[in-house]
This record gives sequence, structure tokens and C-alpha cells, in this order.
Amino acid sequence: MKKSHFTVILLTLVAATLGIFFALRSEHALLVHPKGEIARRELHLMATNVLLMLSIIVPTLILLFLVVWKQVTKRHDDKKGSPNTRHPIFREGILWIIPLIVVLVMGVITWFAAHKLDPYRPLQSKRTPLHIQVVALDWKWLFIYPQQGIATLNFIEIPENIPVRFSLSADGSPMNSFWIPQLSGQIYAMSGMITTLHIMANEQGEYTGRAAEINGAGFADMTFAVKVTSESDFMDWINSVKSSPHELTGTVYSELIKPSMKNQITFYSSVKKDLFEQMVEKYLKPSS
Amino acid sequence: MKKNFFTGKLTFESLPDHWYTIGGTVFIILVGLIVAFILTKKKRWKWLWKKWLTSTDPKRIGTMYMIFAGLMFFRGMLDAGMIWLQQSLAADSQGYLSSDHFQQIFTSHGDIMVFFVTMGFFFGLMNWIIPLQIGARDLAFPFLNSLGLWLTVSGGVLLNLFFVIGGQFANTGWLAITPLSELEFNPGVRVDYLIWSLQLSGLGSLLAGINFLVTIIKKRAPGMTLMKMPLFVWTSLCAMVLIISAFPVLTATTLLLWLDRVLEMHFFTAGFGGNQMMYINLIWMWGHPEVYILVLPAFGMFSEIVATFSKNQISGYVSMVWAAIMITVLSYLVWLHHFFTMGAGANVNSFFGIVTMFIAIPSGVQVFNWILTMFKGRVQFQSPMYWFVGFLILFMFGGMAGVFMASPPADFQVHNSLFLVAHFHTMIVGVALFGIFAGTTYWFPKIMGFRLDEKLGKRAFWLWFVGYFVSFIPLYILGFMGATRRLDHYASSTHWQPLFIISTIGFVIIACGCFTQVMQLIISYKKRKEFSDQTGDPWDGRTLEWMTTSPPPFYNFAVIPNVSTREAFWEMKQKKLPPSKSYQEFELPKNTGMGIYISVFAFFAGFALVWHIPWLALLGALGALTCVIIRSFDKHTEYMLTAEEIERVESSRGQG
Repeated sequence: MKKSHFTVILLTLVAATLGIFFALRSEHALLVHPKGEIARRELHLMATNVLLMLSIIVPTLILLFLVVWKQVTKRHDDKKGSPNTRHPIFREGILWIIPLIVVLVMGVITWFAAHKLDPYRPLQSKRTPLHIQVVALDWKWLFIYPQQGIATLNFIEIPENIPVRFSLSADGSPMNSFWIPQLSGQIYAMSGMITTLHIMANEQGEYTGRAAEINGAGFADMTFAVKVTSESDFMDWINSVKSSPHELTGTVYSELIKPSMKNQITFYSSVKKDLFEQMVEKYLKPSS
Repeated sequence: MKKNFFTGKLTFESLPDHWYTIGGTVFIILVGLIVAFILTKKKRWKWLWKKWLTSTDPKRIGTMYMIFAGLMFFRGMLDAGMIWLQQSLAADSQGYLSSDHFQQIFTSHGDIMVFFVTMGFFFGLMNWIIPLQIGARDLAFPFLNSLGLWLTVSGGVLLNLFFVIGGQFANTGWLAITPLSELEFNPGVRVDYLIWSLQLSGLGSLLAGINFLVTIIKKRAPGMTLMKMPLFVWTSLCAMVLIISAFPVLTATTLLLWLDRVLEMHFFTAGFGGNQMMYINLIWMWGHPEVYILVLPAFGMFSEIVATFSKNQISGYVSMVWAAIMITVLSYLVWLHHFFTMGAGANVNSFFGIVTMFIAIPSGVQVFNWILTMFKGRVQFQSPMYWFVGFLILFMFGGMAGVFMASPPADFQVHNSLFLVAHFHTMIVGVALFGIFAGTTYWFPKIMGFRLDEKLGKRAFWLWFVGYFVSFIPLYILGFMGATRRLDHYASSTHWQPLFIISTIGFVIIACGCFTQVMQLIISYKKRKEFSDQTGDPWDGRTLEWMTTSPPPFYNFAVIPNVSTREAFWEMKQKKLPPSKSYQEFELPKNTGMGIYISVFAFFAGFALVWHIPWLALLGALGALTCVIIRSFDKHTEYMLTAEEIERVESSRGQG
């Protein structure tokens, strides 16, 4: 290996690091610009983990470069390398202990973080959470607001700084993953099962949610809009939806679950009673 | 779909009707005709059959594995190029592929690269090197070895047959996740193609795994205790333990899925008591060990390479062995980290997350010891060492991304994103493929009798190394921009397109690297006189494979060496021990076509099961079974090589 080769490797690494650094500063790097409580804490955890790992990776990389550099520049006068005929247990012990310490620290952090950021865990807040039932359909998202008695298609509006509890399931659609990158991480939505996700948005704005698990032809278009507004705007919006001409009756729903793509945002002023519960129970019944 | 008794679901509509299936079919037929023409013209059919196809010599089988893997690599890279091209075009438009077609391409890309390319190359190199390194003349079960190869090949052929018959491959992702792969969402035969090609090749891998395990346990040269085995043998042993315990899970799981599909059972369906999550659990119980099946042999190869080129013993041999064993054990306990997002509780998630992080410990120990080996040695930077240094950098980088995702809350954000895709490609490219390239360069003189061109080898490394960064760093960033994997199109407002285009440029650089490697093969062959290796030991090696000539005689060792230290050949060279010439007769396996016959029957059975043709399936199964029975009554499967014959061969090889 020539010295110039060494430079190529270093340049590649520096270019990659700079590339990542500047790309992540862009506002389009959604995960680095969280707008919700959960996503913010997840980012914080990621950063902690990366720093911990860099504390061991960077010295190792430097060690690697020093060794390679030494080997490239050194004149081989001696006839043989120095063979390690003995096995210094002490040295090997250190090699095991260094990564062990880092992993133990990360393990403890992981244990607590996994519990604190468990999607099932309600968020601490004085306000009662807004409940939204999510149904993944082929290939669109249906959102039911049971407390308000309304429903929406491919769109949710939520108030800022109020916790939201999602109950997720799927109907006629395979396994789905529900993801609003700027508000929180993913959770699966599966037929016959209800998963739960708690989030809280901190900043008003419009964000994109998407399906993150391959589910067939309409996969790429299965996105939805998320609008975070003030509480009063949210109330106004609820009222406007209640005057919408569309109603989510049993017939409308049975039309809706047929596969379709690129569905327009739709608002339903009323929802058939216990639609979500019946939809889930449908999968628990034996074959007739 | 209506079923005919004789043809099952096959109709004239199953014949190619798209540009790519017609193109593929024409290509396959043309290449077949050209090969057949050349063979006929040169009168080589008999030679091909007797010397190669029916061979039970692990060296020939190894070469055939590698040729097959190389062809499949070409096929997998074509898929990769199509995926990249689509994603760099498809902002606010559909690109040049339909969603469905795009999904078929990434599915077949994954299956081909994992089952046929990476595993094919590894089995090829293991067939060549493991008997030589442990001082054996052959594998424990030469016939199973041949059968394993041909089952793998028949699986590969069945997978690619969808071009010719059916025209469609699964659109479910390489693991055929349920319930998308169930009858409800996938009524045709496309998923069955996936299932049966994996069944055939999985059976082949299982047989090969058993074979290598028994070989390593039973056929070591006298004096070679377990703790004196070369590290490549150790890591291969660990990978074989994984294969034997994990592949039956794959076979059972995909079989249950097939029962769901053909008999309308409800193991993994969405409703009617099926458990879709069970499939994901089961498939990853195989899938995660599989990941380590792909990287463990590469760890071993790099250990051999770094020791040889540093002119030094591997540092911390005992630690390296225990590291490999620890990785083997831990790899069974981490499968759930592939789906933290399924909604299991925090206790379950953190258990699997923390165990995953523990894998970083043995991995770290290995990295330290590799660096220490170089530090204490006298390094010659031949091209295998270039791959080695590149591997170390990528391994640390990809490992960091892996541990990053082992934390469940972090995984919630990057699960199924392009960040994940970039992570596992870093591991498969940086560890498995770089290992294959380094190992192939390292052992090429042993296999072919001449070295590969160094200059082109280094050039190929640079193209791969830089190409890797240009193509995969953008994918890491895209993950953080909220890009999920497997998107066939996206809105330009996401600002993903520039990064996809950069990534595609990286692919072009990598493709140039592949082209350079092909040129390297051709040019090295042309200059084979200049590069020829007369000594059998071109790199001043340390392990037994360098004791033989290059290429070795068909029986590997005329006299099985006695081993007293870890680096047996190094020891012999230091003490200037002359090779023993007291030849004694020994037995070698005869060639047999049974492996091919069984595989052909199995192939037809697989094909029939894909297309629901019961009589053909029965015929195939019975045929294969009959062949197995016939073979088991064959008592003359070996022949004796007398001492005089060995003496004659040895002296004619210039060693007498």
C-alpha cells in the first residue's frame, strides 16, 4: 500500500462524514428535526448511543490507521515479525473488557429507554389523551375519532401539546407499519390485533405519515397528511367535519375496504357505532 | 384459477408475454445454444459429464459452486441496477417499472444474493480449502456433497424459471412475509416459485452443512486437535452448526406457508385463527442465524489472510475462537430485533435489544486482534490485504449502525427504512463479499495454479470501496429523511431524488469494479505462464493447504501430514522437515451421476408443486426416492489408489 492509497481511504472517510453531517443539517432530514415529544426523545437516545459507540470506534479507527501507516512506512530490516508464542491473558482480558463496558452502559440505557419510550406507555400530561383509531386498508389509512364521532381518510388533525393515543389495526390489508417520522417511531397495524401508540406533537405544522411495511401494489402511495394545530383550531376543524356530507355507514365501509389507490382525503361526519371493535372481532371468529 | 389434471395451473398464458420475460427467455435459450454448440464442436460433452458434473472431488465441486455463484451474481447485480435506476427516476412519476414489477425485482435480488451468491461462493471456497486445511483427502460424504451442489443449482434454476414459465416472481420481499404472501393477497404461483426454490436450495445447504460439520469433526489430520484448527475452519464449523440448526426452521416454515396456500390451511393467515406474527418470528429464527452464516466464514478468511500477509501468528487465537462461538450462540437469541415494531412489550424488546448489543463484544475483540496481528507483524500489502483494510473500516461502520438499531426506541424510527437497507448491505458487501473477494484472490493460485493480476485486483478494490461509500452513504441519509425501503416511487417534495441519483452513480462505480474483476480473470488467464505458481506456496503461507502443489493433486495429500502446532505448515518450513514419501494405498470416492439424477427429479417435483401438477410431483418425489434407494445399495462407491500409482502420479507431477 502506498502513502497515496492511505490518503484515498482517509479522504473517502472524511468526505462521507462531511456528507452525512451536512445532509443531516437540512430540514428534510426529518428524524433530526422532530416536531413531537416521542420523536424528540428518540432522537436524543440515538445521539447518546452514537456518541457512546464513537467513543470506541474512533480510537479503534485511529489505531487501525496508525498501524497501517507504521506498516506502510516502516523498513522491514528484521527478518521476522515477533510471533506471539505466549498468550498474555491480561491483554486478551482488556480486549474483552473494553467493549463489554461500552455495551453494559448501552444496555442499561436501552433497558430504561425501551421502557420509557414503550409505545404502549401513556404520556404524562394533565390533559386526557385524544383517542384515534387507525385502520390500515388496502391502500389507505382510515382514522376514527371515537370521542368526536367523526372519521377521516388519509388525513389526521391533532392539537399540539395534547397527548394522542392511537389504537391500530388493519382490515383486508396485510401487515402494515404506521410511521410519522417527525412525531414518533413506527408500530405495526395488523388484522385481528390492536396495537397502541402514544404520541404528543409540540409544534404546529403539516407532516407526512406513511406505511413502512411492504403491503402490495399501492404501497408507495399509502401516505397520509398529519396537521398539527392549536386546540381551538382543532375544535373548529371537528365542527367543520361534522357538517361534512359523507357518513361512514356500514355500506360505505364495505365499499371502502375494497383495494384502491391514491384515495383523496375524505371527512366523515358520523361513524357507525363500534365499527373499529367489530372490524377487529371479525378476524377472531372461526371460519364459517 | 381452473386446474387441469395434466398441466395443473399451466396454460398458454403462462408463456412469456412481457419484454423482460421474452428477453430473458431468448437470452437463456441463446446462451444455452452457444454453450451446446461449443461443447459439441470441441467434443467436450463426455469430458464435461465425466470430469466435472458427476465429480465427487470437493475441488471440482467447489469450482462448480463458484461458477454458479458467479452467474447468479451477474443476475443479482442486474436486479440491483434496475432497482437503483427506478428509484432515481421515480420522483413524482412511475419511473420505468410498474410497482408490481419493481417489487418482484427487489424480492428476487434479495433471494438470489443471499441463497445463491453469498452462500454459493462460501460453499465453493469451503469445498476447496477446508479439506486442504485440515489435511484431509476428501469430505466425509462425497456423494452428499455432489447432491448438495446440484440441489442448490436446481433451486437456482427453478427461481429463474419464472422468466420462461409464469412470467412473475413473488412481490413480497425476500422472506415472503405473511399475510402478504398468503392466498388472499397472492393467488398466483409467484410465491410458490419462491417457496420451492428456497426449499430445494435450503435442502442443498443443509446437506452441505452436515457434510462439512462431520468432515471438520472427523477428518482432521492426526495431531490437529480442535484448538489447533485454522480459524477459517473454526468459523466455518460455527457457520455449519448454525446451518444445521437453522435451515430446518426455514424448510418447516415455508412448508407451512405452502400448506396455507395450496390446502387453504390457516397457519399464518390474517383471520380464522391464523397467526401472521408467528411466521415473522419463525422466519427470523432462521433469518438471523442466516446472517451469521454469511459473515462467520468471512471472519475466518480474514483471520487467515491477515496472519499470512503480516508474517505473524494471529493474535489471540483462543479469544478469536471463543468470539466466533459466542457469536454463534448469541445469533439464536436476537431474532426479535427484526421487528421491535410489532408491539411486544418493553421487557421483551429490551431483552432482545441488549442481547443484540452483546454481539458487539466478540466482534470488537476480533477487530482488536486483527489490528494487533498487523501491529506486531511485517505487513505486505498485497491485494487481499486491501480488501481486509476496507473490510475493517466497513465492518466498524456497519456494526455501529447495527448496534444503533439494537436499541428498540431508535429502531422504531429507522425500522424498514433505507437506513436499515444501508446497514445490512454494509455488512453483506463489506464483510461477506469483501471476504469472498479477498479469499478468492488469496486462494486463487492454489485453485488454478496461477495468481490473479495484482494491479487490476487493487483497482477493483478501489472501485468497490469508493463505490460502496457513494452508493450506501446516501441510503443511510435517506433513512433519516424518512424514506422507507421498497418504494417504487415518491413525491419530489421529499427531496430524496438527488440522493437516489448519487447512490445510483455509486452503483455504476461498483459495476465498473465488477467489470474490472472480470477483466482481471481474463487477463490473469492470458498471462498464466507469467503468474504461475510453481512452489505451491506463493504467499509464504502458514496452514496446510500451502503444503500441496498448486493446484493440488486430486487426492490432496499423498501422505497425510502429522500436525503438532496451530500453524502446521509454518512449523514444517521452520524446521525444514522434508515431506514424507512413504506412500500407502488409500481409497477415493468414485464419480457418480446420482446427485444430478436426484436433483433433476427434485427439480421436477418442485416445478410440479409450484404449478399444482400432482402426478408430476409424485413422479419427481418417487424418482428421487428411488435414486436414493438405488444409491444406498451401491457398495462399490470407492476405488483404491495403490502406493505404486501414487508414486507414479507424484513423480509425474515433478515432486518425485
